[in-house]
Amino acid sequence: MLTSLKRILKFSWVGFLRNKALVLEVIFVITISISLITCLFLSQGVSKFLINYLQDKADISVYFKQNTSEQEIVKVEEALYQFSNEIQSVEYISQEKALQIFTEVHKNDSDSLEALEQVGDNPFLASLVIKAYDPIYYVQISNFLSQDSFKDVIEKIPYYDNKRVIDRLSAITDTIRTMTIGLGLILGLLAVLITFNTIKLTIFASKDEISTMRLVGASNWFIKGPFVIQGVLYGIASILIVDILFFILLLFFSPKLQVFFSGFNLLSYFQSQYASLFLIQVIFVGIVSVISTLLALNKHLKV
Amino acid sequence: MILFKNVTKIYHSELSPNHISALKDISFEIGPQEFVSIVGRSGAGKTTLIKLLIGEEDITSGNIFFGNENIKETKFNDLQKIRRKIGVVYQDYRLLFSKTVYENISYIMEVMGFSDKEIYKSVSQVLEIVGLQDKALNFPKEISGGEQQRLAIARALVHKPELVIADEPTGNLDPYNTFEIINLFKKVNESGTTIILATHDRRVIDNLNKRVITLEDGKLLRDEKSGKFIL
Repeated sequence: MLTSLKRILKFSWVGFLRNKALVLEVIFVITISISLITCLFLSQGVSKFLINYLQDKADISVYFKQNTSEQEIVKVEEALYQFSNEIQSVEYISQEKALQIFTEVHKNDSDSLEALEQVGDNPFLASLVIKAYDPIYYVQISNFLSQDSFKDVIEKIPYYDNKRVIDRLSAITDTIRTMTIGLGLILGLLAVLITFNTIKLTIFASKDEISTMRLVGASNWFIKGPFVIQGVLYGIASILIVDILFFILLLFFSPKLQVFFSGFNLLSYFQSQYASLFLIQVIFVGIVSVISTLLALNKHLKV
Repeated sequence: MILFKNVTKIYHSELSPNHISALKDISFEIGPQEFVSIVGRSGAGKTTLIKLLIGEEDITSGNIFFGNENIKETKFNDLQKIRRKIGVVYQDYRLLFSKTVYENISYIMEVMGFSDKEIYKSVSQVLEIVGLQDKALNFPKEISGGEQQRLAIARALVHKPELVIADEPTGNLDPYNTFEIINLFKKVNESGTTIILATHDRRVIDNLNKRVITLEDGKLLRDEKSGKFIL
């Protein structure tokens, strides 16, 4: 058993080193497949970041009537959390804080500050700034707050004024999600097909030898083993090439891409998520190359 | 040792309605340590007979026994065990072109689990016998047709099988090498190995003075204990 295993490993390694032209061709093609998978992984990261970034831009504010006590506002806040698990955060902005924010924002705008001075009292209303995990929940939240029970304390919910912007953000995030899934399916399928066909061709080139091996009495695993291990070797070499290549490319292009992707740093993402990426690459190569090898071999192992 | 019992092989064509009967109701027996030549014109059924015996092709009807094993009913793993007891010199050599001369010969011994030391000893011996000791590290495509044929013979003999089947083993050899190889088969036979030699080389058969089975159009025409080449 151990001798057979040793010999299978030897055949694999010798075959890998000897057929240089074929090995280079196969590694080149599998490198393309793994690059597709890697692009897919990075695009998932970018799309997640962009979705979060856009969703973070959307929120709704609910303004309370003058003289509404802080206690009543806290009750509304609690009611909101009880109403839905989809609420990411609720921030209380008191009248004083609203004034402070306005003054800070318009500190260089003398007209606005002058107008505020002419009004005299603090004209701002206390408010709650509500952020949901997904913009689609703003309608529900807005409807919930429009109930009669809140009529006495709530002055206005300007959701419907912002609805168009929120809907647009929702549509953009949905498009990004759909595109990522669609791209994932296409690239994934391409990667599988390219790898499968390349391995099939390499085994087809050895079909006469495979039948001779059968006719001299070699067991199935004695024949299959070296091909399966060679498939794994192709995969390891391709993963190393892809990862080194991507690291170098991201090192140079990440700063430029960061501007394009609203601050998302691809190199940091690549480095921080490398363990997951490597695992995905290994699983892809392992499953696709081993299954392709076994399927292609079974076709030629019928003598 | 080997029993052919009413063996028929018909090849069905995908396009032509005419089927080809390569072997028709063949029956004969070969005992242990026999040296049997199978002669016949091209297309007489010699190669088909060998392919059926090693299980490369399915039998249409009848049975072939190797020892107590019925080839038709043998499961894959048992068939591989039988194949390891047989050394075959194929008409088209069927060499492993990605392996060196040495590796082509050693492969069967590696399959059978011999130790590296035993393999080295046996392969070196057989390389010297067939005169390929200087070509051990060459690939099959780097040696001549005659040398490839001797390599195929070396591969069939190296693991000292119970049965050696040689399909036109001297087709590419000059008269001197032909004589050498036939003498080698005789020696192997004298050491207890059964030999089946399929050939249409009249000189080889006439000089052997051994049992001759003659095939014609897939039928067994003659089976003579000490035959000559008569067609």
